[in-house]
Amino acid sequence: MSSSKKSSDGKSSEIEEAVASLTMPFNKILLTSSDGESFEIDEAVARKFQIIAHMIEDDCAGKAIPIDNVTGDILSKIIEYAKKHVVEPDEDEDEEAKKKLDSWDAKFVEKLDLETIFKIILAANYLNFEGLLGFASQTVADYIKDKTPEEVREIFNIENDFTPEEEEAIRKENAWTFNG
Amino acid sequence: MSFKSLIQDMRGELGSISRKGFDVRFGYGRSRSQRVVQDTSVPVDAFKQSCWANMPPELLRDVLMRIELSEDTWPSRKNVVSCAGVCRNWREIVKEIVKVPEVSSKLTFPISLKQPGPRGSLVQCYIMRNRSNQTYYLYLGLNQAAASNDDGKFLLAAKRFRRPTCTDYIISLNCDDVSRGSNTYIGKLRSNFLGTKFTVFDAQPTNPGTQVTRTRSSRLLSLKQVSPRIPSGNYPVAHISYELNVLGSRGPRRMQCVMDAIPASAVEPGGTAPTQTELIHSNLENFPSFSFFRSKSIRAESLSSGPASAAQKEGLLVLKNKAPRWHEQLQCWCLNFNGRVTVASVKNFQLVAAPENGPAGPEHENVILQFGKVGKDVFTMDYQYPISAFQAFTICLSSFDTKIACE
Repeated sequence: MSSSKKSSDGKSSEIEEAVASLTMPFNKILLTSSDGESFEIDEAVARKFQIIAHMIEDDCAGKAIPIDNVTGDILSKIIEYAKKHVVEPDEDEDEEAKKKLDSWDAKFVEKLDLETIFKIILAANYLNFEGLLGFASQTVADYIKDKTPEEVREIFNIENDFTPEEEEAIRKENAWTFNG
Repeated sequence: MSFKSLIQDMRGELGSISRKGFDVRFGYGRSRSQRVVQDTSVPVDAFKQSCWANMPPELLRDVLMRIELSEDTWPSRKNVVSCAGVCRNWREIVKEIVKVPEVSSKLTFPISLKQPGPRGSLVQCYIMRNRSNQTYYLYLGLNQAAASNDDGKFLLAAKRFRRPTCTDYIISLNCDDVSRGSNTYIGKLRSNFLGTKFTVFDAQPTNPGTQVTRTRSSRLLSLKQVSPRIPSGNYPVAHISYELNVLGSRGPRRMQCVMDAIPASAVEPGGTAPTQTELIHSNLENFPSFSFFRSKSIRAESLSSGPASAAQKEGLLVLKNKAPRWHEQLQCWCLNFNGRVTVASVKNFQLVAAPENGPAGPEHENVILQFGKVGKDVFTMDYQYPISAFQAFTICLSSFDTKIACE
């Protein structure tokens, strides 16, 4: 573990930290959620969040990073997913591992309600965690499929703001669409 | 029972009534096997605070794009249209994501039927004829095997109306309501008395602000005379003529289609064909400029019976049927339909663009429309850019109707 001792010379402490991160691959990073929950994770996991990876590259990452936009419950879910996906198995090289991971992903999202998924999408977008953002968005897309417009509005609490003329046009459109 | 769940029950009831007999009129017309499931396990109250309606646009767009990408064939393509019916915001995004058939090779909204087909690949459809009610049904083929299963996506219906001096085929988006007064009226095909010349009329102009024409019977459409139930307009978009060839009725007939709405340049490299963007509804108020002039179409009518060059001087696209070859051993006329036509019939044809002047280029080898028999009342129809499904369908209907060179 790298020490938090700082030498009087700022530059050499940078070098120390650089050397430390080279020689100690299990560097830890501390993330703090907006509601004060702290999560200590491996640097490799933290790097899944591009926003943090850039901070590390630019050497702006202290050991504790505040994540102001994300609450603890959501952040913990995101970290759980990130830990599982630190290494993405290659479908061609390791089909078995890919299948196992897909199955874990399916179980992971099954337990979540829509509102949580929505928050995860926003957080993953903020953190720039592409893998989870894509997965969560696809989950929502799959949820929407095979629902009528009315059902979608009901579930997502969206108001029907079409004019009567537009409604009429859409009625005709749907009659044709769902015919046969 | 809370008021809220009472409302939910009522909605469910209305939903089931609409499904039973009035699917089409009450809007969503889902297949009988689908049910509206009031998902009571989902706590709706929790979502009152949710922000789905305020989802950042780029994230919503990503979700909708995923749907558009994965639901690329019918019947699942209906999910794309469904998303466009949720709210204005969703509709705007979906309409922007969905590309025209010319580019995507996919049919999505009803307007796709009025837009030019894809470049470089044929859309494979089939037509079922119902002799008992004089109606023809156009379907998009969903699998490689030809027609005739119930495997198609319904596109258009056409009903034949015989009149003293002509025959009309009324084209509709609704297979159950095929009449001129219907609000799903798309256009019509009208034949002359002899069944040798046909005009295709579109209910809406190709280009907004196009002038209204006099119909053959010189009946002007007047704002005062038209009731909301009468279709909004009749814009000629094609003129078709049939002739015997030099061998008379022993040989294949000659077909010519003057496409009033498509310039000849459309088939040349870099050319484009006009594309309608929205279905206008039978409501005259929607037409911005509505003037009564003798239109180009009268001239186009006379042009269609003359040599193609006259029409081409007007810059219009002319389609002609590819001449079959006489096969000495088989003793019959042959066209290569690439397996899509399996029964010999004088109605079968392939249309190519006639060269304007000078020698034919490679663009004049391209089969733009192909039609032919595969069963007793089943025909395949394959079309591509620059014509639309609607135009292709009406041209094929004329082949049914014409008496030229029929056995």
